[in-house]
Amino acid sequence: MKRLVHIVVLALGLTLGIAPAMAAPQAYKLRVDGLACPFCAYGIEKKLGAVKGVERIEVDIASGTVAVTMAEGATLDEEAAKKAVKEAGFSLRSFEPVPTTPQGTAGGQAK
Amino acid sequence: MKTMAKAALATLCLSAATAWSAPITFNTALPVHEGGWVLREQLVFMKIADDSTPARRDMEVSGLVSVLGYGVTRDFALFGMLPYFDKRLDIRMGGQDITRSKQGLGDLTVLGRYTAYQHDAPGRTLRITPFLGVKVPTGDDDTHDRLGRLPPQLQPGSGSWDALVGAVLTWQTLDFQIDSQLSYKANREANGFEAGDVAALDASLQYRLWPRSLGGGVPAFLYGMLEANLVHSAKDRIGGVDDPNSGGTTLFITPGLQYVTKKWIAEAGVQVPVIQHLHGTALESDYVLTAGVRINF
Repeated sequence: MKRLVHIVVLALGLTLGIAPAMAAPQAYKLRVDGLACPFCAYGIEKKLGAVKGVERIEVDIASGTVAVTMAEGATLDEEAAKKAVKEAGFSLRSFEPVPTTPQGTAGGQAK
Repeated sequence: MKTMAKAALATLCLSAATAWSAPITFNTALPVHEGGWVLREQLVFMKIADDSTPARRDMEVSGLVSVLGYGVTRDFALFGMLPYFDKRLDIRMGGQDITRSKQGLGDLTVLGRYTAYQHDAPGRTLRITPFLGVKVPTGDDDTHDRLGRLPPQLQPGSGSWDALVGAVLTWQTLDFQIDSQLSYKANREANGFEAGDVAALDASLQYRLWPRSLGGGVPAFLYGMLEANLVHSAKDRIGGVDDPNSGGTTLFITPGLQYVTKKWIAEAGVQVPVIQHLHGTALESDYVLTAGVRINF
């Protein structure tokens, strides 16, 4: 009986603790080469922002990275990201999914 | 005076594609994103004076230069430049001070720019972009005042179809940017007057003054700028004959400041001639003041 209670408590904990994380939107970290001034960042935001499902874009010019957060249930295809970065006039160096954080915590550019 | 006006105005024409975080007086090789627009509005005031001849010629040109750029593809961008000029010439003739002036839209310059070479690395880019353009005689070139037809330098337009060709090299990093441009403008004849062709070699250094160190996000940059324009004008031809009082070589230096954000840029600079080798009785230029904004959309 005591063992059963432990299992139920653990299952509840997992459900309450992990489920929201699983429901969190997918996010990606893009490394963009050639990005070296604020005016250039606008084109990246505009082009990535036009990709279906993209909800939030945060450019960090010092590290040359762009964090892309998707709408719930949406994913970003690497080819689509590469095309958007290329159309903005830059080069995609790397593309990786990243562990997500709860929505609304960052100060990036929402679509 | 004609030479100086032409040299200074030539630097305006040669900056047709300057719609980016870029030099004030000439072009850059940085991209316009595909489907994107960039608008530049540039106020210019030019003073050409210090005439030692009895004519005491003194010319002032104020202008608003509008440039609209469009990214056709990631590598190819089109630019259109249309100036509005207010030109004024004070001259002493027959013991009287006379003022001749004209305002109006100038000639439209349309220019295509192609990124022929691009090397991107983290926080830096190297690009080379040749460009080809044409100046269309949209401005009025046959205006008169009470003394008769205005001289070509006072007309808002030239009346001629002129060609423009060149290439720009840009090396941009997070801390500084270097641009260099080689260009040639072939002028054609209109109304019996043919302005001499203009060749120019330009260089620019932009250095990030603020913020000194970069934090996160996309902070605005304040650049200090120093530009140089070496402009050589061939002699004008009037009625098929070389004008001995035209043509020559001028070196301009332009210190300036540029504040760059994600969506707009504000800038100002003063173009000062430091070396002038002009033919005949050409006037010395005093300065060219430039201030403007560029908008990304």
